[in-house]
Amino acid sequence: MSLAFDDYGRPYIILRDQGQKKRMKGLEAYKSNILAAKAIANTLQSSLGPKGMDKMLVSPDGDVSVTNDGATIVEKMEIQHPTAKLLVELSQSQDAEIGDGTTGVVVLAGKLLEQALTLLDKGIHPLKISDGFDRACDVAIKHLEQIAEEIDIQANDHEALIQAACTALGSKVVSKRKRELGKIAVTAVLDVADLTRKDVNLDLIKIQTKTGGSVEDTRLISGILIDKDMSHPQMQKEVTDAKICLLTCPFEPPKPKTKHNINISNAEDYNKLYQQEQQYFIDMVKLVKNSGANIALCQWGFDDEANHLLLQNDLPAVRWVSGTDVELIAMATGARIIPRFQEITPEKLGKAGSIKEVQFGTSNERMLVIENCQCTKAVTILIRGGSQMIVDEAKRSIHDAICVIRNLIKDNRIVYGGGSAELACALQVLQYADEVSSVEQYAVRSFADALEGIPSCLADNCGLNPITSVAQAKSRQLSEKNPRIGIDCMDLGTTDMKEQRIYETLSSKKQQIQLATQVVKMILKIDDVIAPDDY
Amino acid sequence: MSQFLQPTILLLREGTDTSQGRAQIVSNINAVQAVADVVKSTLGPRGMDKMIQTGPKVTISNDGATILNLLEVVHPAARVLVDIAKSQDDEVGDGTTSTTLLAAELLKEAKPFIEEGIHPQIVIQGYRKALELALEKLEGFSINISKDSIESKRDTLIKCAQTALNSKLLANTKQFFSELVVSAVEKLDPNILDRDLIGIKNVTGGNITDSFLVDGVAFKKTFSYAGFEQQPKRFENPKICLLNLELELKSEKENAEIRIEKPEEYQSIVDAEWALIYEKLEIIVKAGAQIVLSKLPIGDLATQYFADRNIFCAGRVAQEDLLRVQKATGGQVQTTVNGLNPETFGTCGLFEEVQVGAERYNLFKNCPQSRTATIVLRGGAEQFIQEAERSLNDAIMIVRRCFKANKIVAGGGAIELEISRFLRHYARSVTGKTQYIVNSFAKALEVIPRTIAENAGLNSIEIMNKLRQKHAQGGEEGRWYGVDINGASGVCDTHQSFVWEPTLVKRNALCSATEAACAILSIDETVKNPKSDQDTKMKPKGQPGRPPMGMRR
Repeated sequence: MSLAFDDYGRPYIILRDQGQKKRMKGLEAYKSNILAAKAIANTLQSSLGPKGMDKMLVSPDGDVSVTNDGATIVEKMEIQHPTAKLLVELSQSQDAEIGDGTTGVVVLAGKLLEQALTLLDKGIHPLKISDGFDRACDVAIKHLEQIAEEIDIQANDHEALIQAACTALGSKVVSKRKRELGKIAVTAVLDVADLTRKDVNLDLIKIQTKTGGSVEDTRLISGILIDKDMSHPQMQKEVTDAKICLLTCPFEPPKPKTKHNINISNAEDYNKLYQQEQQYFIDMVKLVKNSGANIALCQWGFDDEANHLLLQNDLPAVRWVSGTDVELIAMATGARIIPRFQEITPEKLGKAGSIKEVQFGTSNERMLVIENCQCTKAVTILIRGGSQMIVDEAKRSIHDAICVIRNLIKDNRIVYGGGSAELACALQVLQYADEVSSVEQYAVRSFADALEGIPSCLADNCGLNPITSVAQAKSRQLSEKNPRIGIDCMDLGTTDMKEQRIYETLSSKKQQIQLATQVVKMILKIDDVIAPDDY
Repeated sequence: MSQFLQPTILLLREGTDTSQGRAQIVSNINAVQAVADVVKSTLGPRGMDKMIQTGPKVTISNDGATILNLLEVVHPAARVLVDIAKSQDDEVGDGTTSTTLLAAELLKEAKPFIEEGIHPQIVIQGYRKALELALEKLEGFSINISKDSIESKRDTLIKCAQTALNSKLLANTKQFFSELVVSAVEKLDPNILDRDLIGIKNVTGGNITDSFLVDGVAFKKTFSYAGFEQQPKRFENPKICLLNLELELKSEKENAEIRIEKPEEYQSIVDAEWALIYEKLEIIVKAGAQIVLSKLPIGDLATQYFADRNIFCAGRVAQEDLLRVQKATGGQVQTTVNGLNPETFGTCGLFEEVQVGAERYNLFKNCPQSRTATIVLRGGAEQFIQEAERSLNDAIMIVRRCFKANKIVAGGGAIELEISRFLRHYARSVTGKTQYIVNSFAKALEVIPRTIAENAGLNSIEIMNKLRQKHAQGGEEGRWYGVDINGASGVCDTHQSFVWEPTLVKRNALCSATEAACAILSIDETVKNPKSDQDTKMKPKGQPGRPPMGMRR
């Protein structure tokens, strides 16, 4: 900030570190904010759609990730600029709420800001612009609800759900296998879904990754997979009709929590102590064994002595099972978590069809698979793939697909993708624009233009001519009164998205438009930026 | 120049910055203007926001007090402005920008008088006199709503909340939020209206209109241990046990040490420790509690113990949340389980754990003694929600005040203009210098409608003329004419268009602005000690015209 001088030539120091603060006001502030936000949107623009490209992001420690997921890209870009950060949060909140459409929301916000910039150049007050956007947004949302169709999620073996999952997976690196992965995701969600309450607890779906193999080897385990192996290499590798004892206490002599000393004054006492310790181990194993358990899973570690005893007693055991896994296993097998050995009773044991240790490829890593659990309320998707990057990306893609399915279970209304919903809204908004008598008319019209940006961006990414294809789709929508005409990204010969079966959830589309408008409004309301002048 | 003849007398430490006299007052006034300029554009329904970055944190706000606070003003005179904005915020909660602007404008009007050599004390006297009259008039003009029926009173409250929200980000959804706020305040005990009992929780994601009001308490799922998921997540009319007690297997006393002489004793100590925690848990279960909340951690052992007995528990509940639960459910927080009896348990109509965005929330609904309310705010970005929270806070404060004070005036600059008209009229009947000063006070008041018009991109001169003409007609007719940002003419009867504000806001704003102006006018010397000023090193090198120490201009 520049210094001001008073009538006597002395400078004012009004703010702390005044010389080092930067201040932007008015039009300069709007423009710099808009440009920063647009820069982010432009980065993501090429990732939109089924032919969208991936980004390679290298973290400060040299970790490489390759992704197409909007929320992940912006998160890993480590953006500094305060306005651009708003877009990052925008993408993340779409991720948190819906889980899908994170790229689209940022691109839409970028398009809206682009339009706002031209309106600002025309000299329209920024708040008039945001008022106009707001009104247009309402119109668009209403129209979306009108063109939305209810689908029967159960019909035809959940075909609709699989299609929706395929749409979500279509833009990802795993798109070649989208049908298989889509099916896995649908089965996983339906396994844990509470259809009466229309609620899906995503915590119950565990996604485990393992490099090696190929994406085709990805499979769904109707049970739990834990990245652990038996505590002793000689223990039996497979337990059928498992009765699981879930422990949250270590196989060690119990220790009082109070600080304590044991004073041993003679050899006799020492021996006694030793024997007592031994006795503890024997008792522990006996208690587990007596309850009828044939496998013990423990949250903590084992003393070597105990490990050896467990082996001798033919009781397979797993140590250092993480807390969340313990909880999942408890839910799936109907086990109760047991805090100390004295409390083991047969009723508290969990039951599972089989527990086996599986080995992958040539690597020495093993995992435990718990299958056919008593109350299958938890499932695991095991993702395989050629490299860590592919596996990570596949994990994110499946997460997106799972979110889409969950949203459909919550609300089974869909709109058609391929830019058709945006185009339909754009047409509706444009029609509304002419009814607005004040300055906002321009803003409303620009909103429609911004909505058209999405299909045009899709077309561009697929190597089509954006202008021609959008114009064609638009005119067909109007002449045929068919809001399902979009961009034929996959070159299937039809632009009717219903035939192409590109399904998107209504909630996701609504949320995208609302969130983007909200953030754009916020950015347009800032007329003054005060920041430390160091970047 | 006399310094060649007389040795300089060094009275203060070198580097001390002293300035005095009339120049100091003028300099202070200019500094205040600079600060007021920053917040000027946030006033009114077309006011803009400021984005301020402090370190890694970015705040976007429209709230005068928040902005001034984040600016880190160090100029001693300008700090007075920050303080009055803060006091307005604490006292009334809204109107911080107008207070700041008014104070700055009063000083601006006083500047020519000071420059022309009128003694500051005379100006101060004149301002005080004018304030006195203005307050008297304000009371006279305000409309009493206490006699109205409950429905129309609620309506009035909603209108006031809407006025407060007008200039904020939430302006487009003000109808929705004003009803939310009024419903929340109505939940409170009308005699105390404790602001702390309205909780605002922020959850990113979702649309802003997905925000909702819980007639009870809501708080985020606390950190939980394994076993938590096995607990039931929904109760009707549960018995809620509130504790301030750690339920964990741990040493009973810090730094205690036990000496065990014989290995046999070892087991007894272990058992004793387990017995201690089990005893506590058993008492709670026996007393019939169905939901256990504690301010301190509830360990994994206890979590699983409760899960086995179909009891819900949450540890590490924030103090304020626990307090609200206590108020809402009528329970009492216990620090020990000894003597726990069902009478200390609270209850509510429905307890549920629900998913809100990416978070899980515990909701206590339909509380019998509901004297609390929680607003769960949704929105796209963190900053958005934070600003929404600040805006709602303003609205809540306004509604609270209005609830108590029962008196309102019309906003949009109408009341300022009316007082201004009256003061101008009065000024003509005074003799002496005070006449000018009262006139200046009247003129300064016009800054509010003028700025509102300017911010809305309207022609402020034209609008001011229209407004002055309307008010000059006098009587009930023109009294409530203020700036209209939507209509074509730019002016309207703001009382009829429901731009209502509690009188208290205006009263406090007038008082503190005048006080601040008077305080700044009465300062005629600043002594700035170099050591106490952290920024000495920051000062740009070689200031032109800076007088060397010990020499007067």
